[in-house]
Amino acid sequence: MKTFYTSAAVVALAAGAAQAQEITVLVEGGGLMLQQEMAEQFTEETGIEVNFVEVPYQGVFDRLSAEIASGTSNFDVATIDVVWNAAFADHVEDLSDLFTEEVRSDLPQALIDDANVDGRMIGMPAWANAEVVFYRKDLFESAENQEAFAEEYGYDLAPPQTWQQWRDMAEFFTTEDMMGTSVNGLNPEEWMAHVLQAGSPGVVLDEDGTVILDNEAHRAALEFYRAPLCEDGSAPENALEIGWGEEQNLFYQGQTAMMKFWAHAYRLTPEDSQVSGRVGVAPMIAGEAGIAGIPGPWYNVVPSTSENKEAAKQFVAYAIANNGLGIEAPLGLAAANSAYESYMDTEGYEHFEPLLTTLSAPATQGRPIHPDYQELLDQAVIPAFQGALECDDNVGELLEEAAEIARDILDQ
Amino acid sequence: MADRLTSRANPDVGKTVINGLALLLVLSYAVPYVYLVSTSLKPAADVQQIPPSFFPDRVTLENFETAIGTAGLPQAFLNSAIVAVLTTVLSLLIAVPAAYVATSYRRPLTVSFLLFALVTRMVPPVSLGVPLFQLLKSLGLLDTTTGLVLAHTSNAVPLALLLMAAFFENVPKDLEEAARIDGCSRFQAFLHIILPVMRGGMAITALFSFIASWNEFLFALLLTSQNSKTAPIVIAEFNSVYGLAWGPMTAAAVLYSLPVILVTLVLQKQIIGGLTFGAVKG
Repeated sequence: MKTFYTSAAVVALAAGAAQAQEITVLVEGGGLMLQQEMAEQFTEETGIEVNFVEVPYQGVFDRLSAEIASGTSNFDVATIDVVWNAAFADHVEDLSDLFTEEVRSDLPQALIDDANVDGRMIGMPAWANAEVVFYRKDLFESAENQEAFAEEYGYDLAPPQTWQQWRDMAEFFTTEDMMGTSVNGLNPEEWMAHVLQAGSPGVVLDEDGTVILDNEAHRAALEFYRAPLCEDGSAPENALEIGWGEEQNLFYQGQTAMMKFWAHAYRLTPEDSQVSGRVGVAPMIAGEAGIAGIPGPWYNVVPSTSENKEAAKQFVAYAIANNGLGIEAPLGLAAANSAYESYMDTEGYEHFEPLLTTLSAPATQGRPIHPDYQELLDQAVIPAFQGALECDDNVGELLEEAAEIARDILDQ
Repeated sequence: MADRLTSRANPDVGKTVINGLALLLVLSYAVPYVYLVSTSLKPAADVQQIPPSFFPDRVTLENFETAIGTAGLPQAFLNSAIVAVLTTVLSLLIAVPAAYVATSYRRPLTVSFLLFALVTRMVPPVSLGVPLFQLLKSLGLLDTTTGLVLAHTSNAVPLALLLMAAFFENVPKDLEEAARIDGCSRFQAFLHIILPVMRGGMAITALFSFIASWNEFLFALLLTSQNSKTAPIVIAEFNSVYGLAWGPMTAAAVLYSLPVILVTLVLQKQIIGGLTFGAVKG
């Protein structure tokens, strides 16, 4: 498959008659890390120099917005977070031509869907991430724990696969010195994954853009999400102070037995952490609709203001054709199935199979690609989500209120 | 009433209370910085310890090694220094004579001039980002030290102008008049008589201009790419979407704060002189 992509890219190169000899790519730190080796090889093969301009995470949005607003751009390619796809959709080139059947068949469907904004393929996935289950292998493999768990819950102790198993195991591992898991009260993506697992046609909005924030799946998922905190006592009480960084640290410090977290963290476990060498990974848990996750992909887009569009498109085509070249970088992520599959049997990449299983699960899909999504999130979703984690209010009522706010925002 | 009587009876009590309050105030400023320094000295595993510890259990310099070894950081420090020094010099060169004229020769035009400088301070810098970007692009000055110095100067001059105008207001008019009687031209009086008196004010203005440029983030983000990127941008790059490298970030921030602390210490005498300038009139 890789050979085909390379050939296609070479053909594309030949077709580009007047080529720029230099392109500039706007990236965040991760984008630089994951694409540098590929870019060097691209330059070697095509003679086109690639200059990366690295900016902080929020700088990608600010810088690209400023350039677009000015009507001219120094950037021929920008590597952007999926959450900005809607904002930049009208200002970037349609890359539909690059989405050949071969490319499409090698990408998880959710990543293709996130690239599609109003029928235009506005970006090519550069890499993707998703939350998977991290667990303490030593605790799960302990004969004593296995025996005690089987006796108490009536089934074998193994990495959790269902909502009930998650709750049972979190409860089982909760002791005076350790909590079973943690509940992230700052970021709702994990809850959104549960919404999809519960069978919702989308998160917050359905594919027609109708507000579905108050459907049964959202309610059930939020009830489940807060259960370790509000019912089982198997998560730290200060959920509203816990974000991704805190979740990760609690786990690394041996204070939690399991967490749902972005897969890349598997390779970044600090060597001096208490759990180094004792971390296991499994696909995201499943609800009635099966496994589902919220992908966190980044896309290569070509700003309409680029003066080197052909060379930029060649770079984007080359990047997906050689998507595996960034895998050995510390973040170790890719977008194409073949790139992940090529490393699945390699030691140190045990997280790839759970990640790919989660990304490719039929129920997995992205957050709404909608220009008002951030406002919906800030005004409607987060207040209801965090209100629920205070454990006092009725989840259904909170979501109904949030849905009303969302409908007001969208004039529905 | 009882307290007042006590403090009247023993003046040291009032002094102690004031000193105590001053100490509390200083602590409220210093604690975040001390925590920054403390975090920079913690090993990676302890940086985000839950619950957090104020002081490191084990002191390490590994974060400083990582920060210094970060590609682009030494160059960014140098860029920051060059831009901040040039901005300071340029701002003073423009603001000092301008403020002198505006305060010495009161006319509706000069008053409007100062008011306009005040108004420009109220414009949110973010709204100037795109126009500055277009302007510098059309001049071919994007991603150049010159371009960034001009952008920072446009930001620093109004502040410098207002500060210097406030200092010039306190210079007795008689001083210049005496110099004129002694045969000085206006320019000579300004250069040889007024400016030496204004050293403290200029030191403070220079310090504020330097700090404004040294810490500036938004223009540097929008107007630089590779060649003239400054340290605040590189420090912010430690915060990536997949994690925040607290240790190296705080180490870089500590290193970055040192020049400002040093400049403040070096100019301490002038700064205190400037702050009290005009406070006591004979």
